[in-house]
Amino acid sequence: MKTSKIITTLLAGLPTTLTLLVAAFSLATLLGIGLAWLNLRANPLARGLARLYLGLVRGTPPLLMLLLAYYGLPVLLKTVGINIDHWTRLTFGILGLTIGWSAYLSEAFRSAYLAVDPGQLEAARASGISDRHAFWRIIVPQAALLALPNIENLLIGLTKATSLVYVIGLYDLYNQATNLSNQTAGVDQLKIFTILALGYWGLVLLIEAGFRQIKKRTAKRIA
Amino acid sequence: MVLEVHNLHKQFKGKEILRGVDLTVGAGEVVVIIGPSGSGKTTLLRSLNFLEHADRGQLQLKDQQIDLAKPTKQQVQWVRRHTAMVFQNYNLFKNKTALQNIAEGLIYGQGMARQKAEGVARAALDKLGLADQADAYPAELSGGQQQRIGIARATVLHPEVILFDEPTSALDPELVGTVLNDMQALAKQGQPMVVVTHQMWFARNVASRVVFFADGRVVEEGAPADLFAHPKEERTRHFLNSLAENY
Repeated sequence: MKTSKIITTLLAGLPTTLTLLVAAFSLATLLGIGLAWLNLRANPLARGLARLYLGLVRGTPPLLMLLLAYYGLPVLLKTVGINIDHWTRLTFGILGLTIGWSAYLSEAFRSAYLAVDPGQLEAARASGISDRHAFWRIIVPQAALLALPNIENLLIGLTKATSLVYVIGLYDLYNQATNLSNQTAGVDQLKIFTILALGYWGLVLLIEAGFRQIKKRTAKRIA
Repeated sequence: MVLEVHNLHKQFKGKEILRGVDLTVGAGEVVVIIGPSGSGKTTLLRSLNFLEHADRGQLQLKDQQIDLAKPTKQQVQWVRRHTAMVFQNYNLFKNKTALQNIAEGLIYGQGMARQKAEGVARAALDKLGLADQADAYPAELSGGQQQRIGIARATVLHPEVILFDEPTSALDPELVGTVLNDMQALAKQGQPMVVVTHQMWFARNVASRVVFFADGRVVEEGAPADLFAHPKEERTRHFLNSLAENY
């Protein structure tokens, strides 16, 4: 099989992979911030809820999470009268990955928040700056920078985890490759999967380059 | 009186840290608090602007009388807007440049317009001879430079009183002089200050009044010449005799 045919076939899966990656990571970031916030409350109920969610989600293999989202969630929601049968596979794929990564990200945010030196909050207070301003102008910007290495790791992890959506029948990079390989009874399997691997490496290298740029520009602000 | 504290008490987990402290700061006065480590000097200072919350005590700042044990949110904010603090570890905002560090309190504490605040901050840096470091982040500055900016950050707010919490204790010895210099200049301008320090040179030469503090209370206080030369209390004598400069 021609290399160009393999590449074009795999590329047909790229939009799905990228959509999953961007959508799931963005939503997981929002959900993760909410969870970290709950987890940092003094209220034991809020903290308990956040920890229960983290425990369950972090203990569930991503593959299983996708299956549960696709097969389990519609059944669960039907018991309370909500019908989501008409949702697309892509939506379920995004949902499954979002739930999983929200837990990982929330821990990255929480630890970064706790890593910001509390002396700076005191300095802000002593200068008459309100806690709200101190939080948004001093604490959050530094916490975001401190969280960068973990965020990068999780984004790279998610890039690879998007390949799991084949279990719910989505045609991403990985499933395109498997499909193509099956069409030729596995004759070109090694070639196809080598090209596939190069594709994922390319994505990860791009992510790493992006984060390197951000870190280089902001290193002075958290040292 | 600029500031007056009466009968300040504070416990940590059942342990008494402050046992009824009285302290006054008059107009233009530099009050230097000396005493052994762990005696509660820092806690005393931090109770004045509510970084610690006292169990009992009265604070008078300007015309306001405040119950230190039960301040309202407005009172806490009011006190913090009329005082400023310089910290042992500088506590500069690490994500802000030198200029922004000085301007931040003016803008977000006192509501000054950004442009004006940055002008004030630039003038303060100029005066310190640090104008070329305006855009440097704290990580790019020496400890001495950071602390001098910490002092400028407090000074530009024109507070009723500036609280100094061991401002030179974290500095390399050769950087201590520059910081003490800034503080002395500030004292000469009549800025009221309360300074917790182990720098006896500063206590002897800059203080209007020296307070010897031990075991959570004021043991004795007086003009530096009197207190250093003729301490009345045995506890004070013992402390002064054990200082390195007397060996």
